[in-house]
Amino acid sequence: MNPINRSLSLSRRTVLTSLGAMGLTFLAPTRAFSQTASKAKLVIVILRGAMDGLAAVPKLDDPHLRQHRTSLVPNDTRPLRDGFALHPNLETVHGLFQSGDAAIVHALAGPWRDRSHFRAQDLLESGTDRTVTKDGWLNRALQVAPSSLSAVSIGPAQPLILRGQAPAASWSPPMLPEADDDTIGRLMDLYAEDDLLGPALAEAIQVDAVAGDAAKGLRGNQFVAPMGAAGRLIATEGGPNIAVVSLGGWDTHANQNGVLGNRLRQLDQGIAKLKEELGDHWRHTAIAVVTEFGRTVRQNGGQGTDHGTGGVAFVMGGAVKGGRMIGDWPGLAPNRLYENRDLYPANDMRGLFASLLHSQFGLTNRETARSVFPGSSGVRMIVTT
Amino acid sequence: MSIKGAIAVTRFGMGARAGEIVDVSSDPKGWLLSQLAEPDRAQIRGNDLLTTKQAVEETIAHFQRRRELQRQATSSERQQQLQMHNRKQREAFIADVSARNVHAVNTPDGFLERWVRFWSNHFTVSARKPELLRIVGPYERDAIRAHAFGSFETLLTNAVLHPAMLVYLDNQKSFGPNTPIAQRRKLGLNENLAREILELHTIGVDGGYTQQDVVEFARALTGWTVGSPRLRSRKIGETVFEERLHEPGDRTVLGVRYREAGAVQALAILKELARHPSTAEHLATKLARHFIADDPSDADILSLKRAYQDSDGDLTEVARSLINLDRSWEREARKFKTPEELLISSARLLGLPSVYGRGARRIYQSLGQAPFTAPGPDGWPDEAAAWAGPDAIKKRLEWANRTARLAAPASMPIAFVTDALGPLASERTRMAVNQAESRRQGLTLALMSPEFQRR
Repeated sequence: MNPINRSLSLSRRTVLTSLGAMGLTFLAPTRAFSQTASKAKLVIVILRGAMDGLAAVPKLDDPHLRQHRTSLVPNDTRPLRDGFALHPNLETVHGLFQSGDAAIVHALAGPWRDRSHFRAQDLLESGTDRTVTKDGWLNRALQVAPSSLSAVSIGPAQPLILRGQAPAASWSPPMLPEADDDTIGRLMDLYAEDDLLGPALAEAIQVDAVAGDAAKGLRGNQFVAPMGAAGRLIATEGGPNIAVVSLGGWDTHANQNGVLGNRLRQLDQGIAKLKEELGDHWRHTAIAVVTEFGRTVRQNGGQGTDHGTGGVAFVMGGAVKGGRMIGDWPGLAPNRLYENRDLYPANDMRGLFASLLHSQFGLTNRETARSVFPGSSGVRMIVTT
Repeated sequence: MSIKGAIAVTRFGMGARAGEIVDVSSDPKGWLLSQLAEPDRAQIRGNDLLTTKQAVEETIAHFQRRRELQRQATSSERQQQLQMHNRKQREAFIADVSARNVHAVNTPDGFLERWVRFWSNHFTVSARKPELLRIVGPYERDAIRAHAFGSFETLLTNAVLHPAMLVYLDNQKSFGPNTPIAQRRKLGLNENLAREILELHTIGVDGGYTQQDVVEFARALTGWTVGSPRLRSRKIGETVFEERLHEPGDRTVLGVRYREAGAVQALAILKELARHPSTAEHLATKLARHFIADDPSDADILSLKRAYQDSDGDLTEVARSLINLDRSWEREARKFKTPEELLISSARLLGLPSVYGRGARRIYQSLGQAPFTAPGPDGWPDEAAAWAGPDAIKKRLEWANRTARLAAPASMPIAFVTDALGPLASERTRMAVNQAESRRQGLTLALMSPEFQRR
């Protein structure tokens, strides 16, 4: 007997309920979008390709800056504090900094040093210092968090940072007409013994049931649409606590000024959109914008920069005590550079993440050092909230 | 129909065409080995397809015209002209992808095609860089298809020194810092190509290289560039070696010293890299992951590594050894199809148009794998975890639903299951398809079935 035959006119939500009532076991562990007590929200934005931190946030009063970079220091920068400034295209970020809702951590890096994009991104998401794991640190954080949390990534592929045992959703707007509920019900039946496809389909349908039409029709450039979707999903009733967004195109080996300027403008518009969509949730939100590593302090032969070490992170949201430059600044003198080429990694990215997990979701630093970022017990916290 | 016949066609090939599993079932290994005897059949031919040289020349001319147009005053006419030129670029790209899709959908030599595409992904060049739109197609034809069945050293050299790769990984912007031209114009080294050859193409990220090796190799690679009018090269649109851009001096890479020898210096390094044990290990691991399982066993990797080393990197020998591995033939399909594999394998049976038109582009983008647009030089991922997320499954269902609407009038869903999977189809799938309330629903379920989503 096929139990779903009768459900031609069921709404998706009812399909879920009826399948749940039938005791289909693969639905049981799903809690990606269940109601949770915590109001706190965390958005991780990964800039893939290594954003040039010294062009985004130049230290203008360092006499070495213009010696290292004859043509890559932006004009018309927006002043911050302590001699730092923001790239002119980061208008929203600047406003948030001034109103106390944005902090900046410079000379930041993970514990990896080999300057490979893919390896560094994998490690950033693994939360490990040498060996890439199969699960991501944010997924492990979901597993050990004191209260039940839910998470979503924006995009068709689940990024490593959220892969693992804890259920986590991924979502992007539909591009083609969707299948009817009866077909979906039968397919769930067909996947009942499939450990990979069964849970994935169940998860997708649950997310859709919550997201509904809310996040359809988002327009904007390649950064604005996913950032807007993240904000809208979080703001939906029963929406997730955690969202992950990836934004690519930062690998500026050549002709950096134009490319980076465009990317930063899009990023800035994306942040504005995210804030707008979050609405009242902004108050409880922390957003961390990070990249796998920084770029070389000296410009290369093609008006660009190569893979480096220390980079920059933006930490924003109502939960953030902003208006500050946070962390140590190593300086740009040639003898202060890492391997005579990169900004010295004075601040450990894991300290930033661990501190956010603590302030937003109550994970203790001990627990974090044990299971979220193994081997990070000596790492100094970077407190932004 | 035999299980091994179905495996040969689906796991080693691009998916079954109607009746193909039956044809192959008597001698599946023989079918695969006979393809390797005729590697020329992996080539795509067509009168309208450009050679690399033509494509690079037209690209140079395109950007030249664009610059001229930008300088012209009247804006409406300029806009119109710009649009026309951009459209010409896109049309050439679409013609290349279409020819590639049509070939993959129609070829009787599915194993050759899968082998080519593996290496094309290993040596990824992405049209996300706009200047490569017209060159990625010729790159795959001239560098990959032509050399994927010979020695790895030849494939490596042809791939990394092809104009497309030199542009993609910025080697045409890398200048020997001590050359007069670099000193005069304040130009310098760009490490990108050297790093990715070590990390991605040869010894791998754990292969044991240092930052110093990257820099030394990058110095050796300076001078290898694309012939252009601006450089006043003798050959336009082809790979050239410009001595005056080359960093003079001896180089040391991975502990081996290479005498200054102009163009030959980088070639000698590539030769050593192709022979390096870490390269054998890296390539064997990626091949085992592609053909057997996301986490292949050490024993399988070792077998392929030995085949590589014993044959001095002969890729046809490596392919033979893969065919002779027992684990390649286990019934359980462990590999989850990438979107491209899914679309090609369904098109091979359903006879839908495979031209890369507007509708097709939308589908490829929706499923997250538009041809020749990999996000970075590491290519598309080859693991289920990257492709089987919740949203990806939903997108596949939307695709199956749409495809079934187009194809259902002309096909019987259960015949599709038999033709596509033969004895690999489970009873559960057959039943679900048989009990569907319409042909369309049956075909949707068949396309989405666990067996058809894997290979």
